[in-house]
Amino acid sequence: MKLNSRTKFGVVVAASTLLLSACGGGGTSADGSGTPAKGGTITYLTIAEQFNHVDPQRNYTGQDLAFFGSYVNRTLTSYAHAEGTAGAEVVADMATDTGTATDGGKTWSFTLRDGLTWEDGSEVTCQDVAYGVSRVFATDIIVDGPTYAISYLDIPAGDEGSNYPGPYKATAEQQALYDNAVSCDGKTITFKLNKVVADFNYTVTLLAFAPVPKAKDTGEKYDDAVVSNGPYKIESYVKAQSMTLVRNENWNPDSDPVRHAYPDKVVVNFAQDQAVIDSRIIASSGEDAFLVSMDGIQPENLPTVFGDDQFKNRRVNETDPYALYAAINVKKLNCLPVRQALLVALDREAVRQVAGGEFAGDFADGFISPTIAADYAPNKVLDGVQPTGNPDAAKALLEQAKTACPDVYAKATGEGLVYDHPDTPTWAKNAAVWIESMKKAGIVLKPNPIEPGKYYSVVMDEALQGDISRGGWAADWLNSSTVLPELFGEGGFNISQNKKDPAYAAYKALMDDALAQTDRAAQAAIWKKANQYALDQVWAIPTFFGRSQEFRGGNIGGGYLWYPFGSHDYDALYVIQ
Amino acid sequence: MARFVVRRLAFMIFLLAIVSIATFLLFSVLPVDPASLSCGQHCTPEKIAANRIRLGYDQPLINQYFTFMKGIFAGRSYGEGAQAFSCPAPSFGYSYYRGQCVTEMITNALPATISLTIGSAIIWLTMGIGLGVISAMNKGKIQDRVSTGLAIFGLSMPTFFIGLLLIYVFIIWLQIFPFPSYTHFLDNPFKWAQALVLPWFTVAIVSAALYTRLTRDGMLETMSEDYVRLAIAKGLPRRKVLVRYVLRGAITPIVTIAGLDIAVLLGGAIITESVFGLPGMGRLALNSVTDSDLPVIVGITLITAFFVVVANALVDILYASLDPRVRLES
Repeated sequence: MKLNSRTKFGVVVAASTLLLSACGGGGTSADGSGTPAKGGTITYLTIAEQFNHVDPQRNYTGQDLAFFGSYVNRTLTSYAHAEGTAGAEVVADMATDTGTATDGGKTWSFTLRDGLTWEDGSEVTCQDVAYGVSRVFATDIIVDGPTYAISYLDIPAGDEGSNYPGPYKATAEQQALYDNAVSCDGKTITFKLNKVVADFNYTVTLLAFAPVPKAKDTGEKYDDAVVSNGPYKIESYVKAQSMTLVRNENWNPDSDPVRHAYPDKVVVNFAQDQAVIDSRIIASSGEDAFLVSMDGIQPENLPTVFGDDQFKNRRVNETDPYALYAAINVKKLNCLPVRQALLVALDREAVRQVAGGEFAGDFADGFISPTIAADYAPNKVLDGVQPTGNPDAAKALLEQAKTACPDVYAKATGEGLVYDHPDTPTWAKNAAVWIESMKKAGIVLKPNPIEPGKYYSVVMDEALQGDISRGGWAADWLNSSTVLPELFGEGGFNISQNKKDPAYAAYKALMDDALAQTDRAAQAAIWKKANQYALDQVWAIPTFFGRSQEFRGGNIGGGYLWYPFGSHDYDALYVIQ
Repeated sequence: MARFVVRRLAFMIFLLAIVSIATFLLFSVLPVDPASLSCGQHCTPEKIAANRIRLGYDQPLINQYFTFMKGIFAGRSYGEGAQAFSCPAPSFGYSYYRGQCVTEMITNALPATISLTIGSAIIWLTMGIGLGVISAMNKGKIQDRVSTGLAIFGLSMPTFFIGLLLIYVFIIWLQIFPFPSYTHFLDNPFKWAQALVLPWFTVAIVSAALYTRLTRDGMLETMSEDYVRLAIAKGLPRRKVLVRYVLRGAITPIVTIAGLDIAVLLGGAIITESVFGLPGMGRLALNSVTDSDLPVIVGITLITAFFVVVANALVDILYASLDPRVRLES
C-alpha cells in the first residue's frame, strides 16, 4: 500500500498556522464520549482536492480503502471493524465464509450470501464479482490500483504482460483465458491461481476484488460515480468541493454482518486549509462538533491536543502500518561495509525530530511493522548503531571498505553519494540531517530533490535513481507477503536493486519458501528470518515505524486507528446523540 | 457605435486566437509529459507510449491544436467503444490527472470566483471611491489624512495577512461568523453570503486603497479645470458640480483599472481562495500548476484571457459613454 502524500504545505498554510495555532478557544459541546447510535451527519474535512480514486479497482491508498470499504463497496472478505489487533482479523463479508482453498492453496472458492443487492435493488451476482476483477487487467484505463489479480490469476502472460487485456478490448479467445481462471457456478466464484497463495482470502479484501455491474461500467468515468453495494450510496461528488453519501435503501443489513452504518449522512469537504481544520476541531463549537479530520493534526498543534485532557476522548495516537526507510541502490553501492557505515552513521533521532518527534513514530528495527503482529519480532540491529548516530563506528567500517571495495569507498568519501528525496520542505530538512550525519563520519552526501508527484516514477527508474532513496511502505493486507517480496524481492516496489547482490539467492529462497507455506505460523517464522536477513544486508536503512494521529469533534464517537489501513475505521464513527 | 462594437469583437477574436496559439505552444514545449501523468504507479515506457497515442499527443502539434480548437466549438470524445465518453462544447480538454473534463472543472470553480469578484468589487469601489471623494473634498484636513492613511495601510498589507487577521478577529475571537464553508448561492443565499463576507472584505481592503488614491488625485486635478470653476462661479449646487463634473471627469481612469482588475480577479484570487477554502479558479489554477496538469492550466489561461479581452472591450465602450471627448470612431 503506497504512502499517501496529501500534504501540500504552502506558504499560506504555514503563515496561517502561525496565526491560528494559538487560537483554539471556544466551548466544547461534548467530550467525545458516548454510546454508538444511529442517526446524524458526520462531516469529514480534508486538505485533499478529491479522493485519489473512487473506482474500487483503482483504489489503493489506506485511507481510501478504509473509507469506501466501510461505506460503499463490499468485497468477498473484509476486516473486522474492531480496535487494535482484533481489527486485523479477516472476516466473511459478501461471502458466506472466508473462502475455501484447494489444490494446496492454488484454487480458492467463495460463495456469495443471499440478499446481496446493488443500490438499484438488483442482485449482486457472482458474474458481477468476476467482471469487477477482470477490470484490473485493463491497465490502460484502470490505473493506480493493486495488480495482484494479474500476478496471481492463472492466465498466461507474454513479454508485455498478461495475454488478457481486460474486458474492454478482449477478443472471445482472450476472454476465455480469463473465464478459465475465474469461473462462476451459481453463487460460487472460483479463482484458479498460478501459484500457491496461502493468504488469498486476505488478498480479496482489497477493493480491486469488489463487484462491478457490467451494464453500469463506464470505464474511465466509473471513477466519478460508482454503483454501491454497501450501506451508503454517492448522492453527489464535486471534486475540489464535496462528496455526500446518503443511506442506500437497498442495502440489506441482514446480508452484512460486518458494517454498522451509524450516521444517516456522510459529507466530505475537500480542499480545506489544514490550520483551519485543526482550529475548528479544537474549538469544536456548534456544528464543528460533528467534524472529523481526515488528515491528522498539524505538528504545531500536537502538543495542544495531546497535552490537554479535555481532548482525551477525541484524539488518537497509534502506530500505523507504515515502515519508513531509506532504500539503498545496491547495484551502485555493492559494498556491505559502506552500507553498514551509512546505517551506523545516521542520526535517526534527528531524522525523527524533523519529522515530528515521537509523534512521527518509533525507531524501526526492520521492515515489518509491529501492526503485522504475527510476523513482527524485534531484530538485532548492527552493533554500534545508536539513536543519534555513531560516526566513529562508521569510520571503522569505512576503513574496511577501503580495501574490500575501493571504488565504492572512493565514491562515498570523495565524489559523493546521491540522496533522492521529494522536493518538499519537510524532506529537505530530512536530507539536511542525513548530510550532516554522514559528514561527521566522512561520507559525502548530495541531495537530489525530486518533484513530489514524480518521486516514485523517478526512483523506480534504474537510470534515474540515485544511491539512496527514501521510501515508505505498508502491507496491503496483514501478511508480510505484501511487504518483504515487494521491497526486496520480485514485487513491484523494489527500489533497492538488490537482485544482483550475491546475498540475494538465499533471500529469494526464503521468499519462495514463505510464499508457498500454507501454515501461517510456519510462514511467520520465515518472514521474521527474512526481515533480519534484509536488515543484515543493509539493502535499506529502516528509520521508524510510523505513528498516526487522528482527531475529531466532541459530538463524534467511536474513533480509533484501524490497523489494516492506518486510518479511521469509518464504519465505527458515530454521532453522539 | 455598432461599427465600433463589431470592430472590437473582431479584434477580440483575433487576440484570443493569438493567445490560444501562444498558450498551446508554450505548454507543448514544457518538459512535462501529459502521457505519463495518466500512467499510474507501475508505469512503463510502453504504457506511456500507448497513452500518448490514446490521448493524441503523438500527433503533430498543429493537428493537436486544431483538435483542441475544434473541441471548443464542437466538443470532444475520448476513449473507445462502450467506455468512450465525451466532453461537450465548449471543451477545453480532459484532465487525466483528475479524471474530469476541464470545462466541468472550470464551471464548478467559476461560481465561487464570480461570487468573490462581484461582492468584493462592489465593496472596494464603494470604499475606494467614497474615501477618495472624502479625501479630495477635505484636502489637507483630518479626513484627508485618515483616508490617505487607510489607503496606505491597505496597500501595504499582504492579502494573506488581512485574510488571517479577519479570520482571527471575526471567527475565532469575536465568533461573529462560523468558519467559512462555501455554499452555492442557489442552495442557501444566507450561507453563501456568510461564507463570503470576510473574503469580500479581504480583497476589498487591499484593492480599495488604489482607488482611493486614484479618485482623490483625479478629483483634485479635475477641480482645477476651467469648466469646473465656471460651474462653481455660475452658482451650481456643490453636490451637482461634484457628481456631474468633478467625479465624472475623474472616474474614467478608475473605470479602466476596475475593468481590468475585475477581469483578472475572475481568473482567480489564489491567496484569498486558499486562505478561506473557497473552491474557485485561483485554487484550481494553483493546484493545476503544482500537479503539472497541463490541460487545466491551458483552459484557465484561455478563460482568463477571455475575461481580460472582454473587460477591455467593455471598458472602451464605457469610457466613450462617460467621456464625450472620446470618439468611438477615432
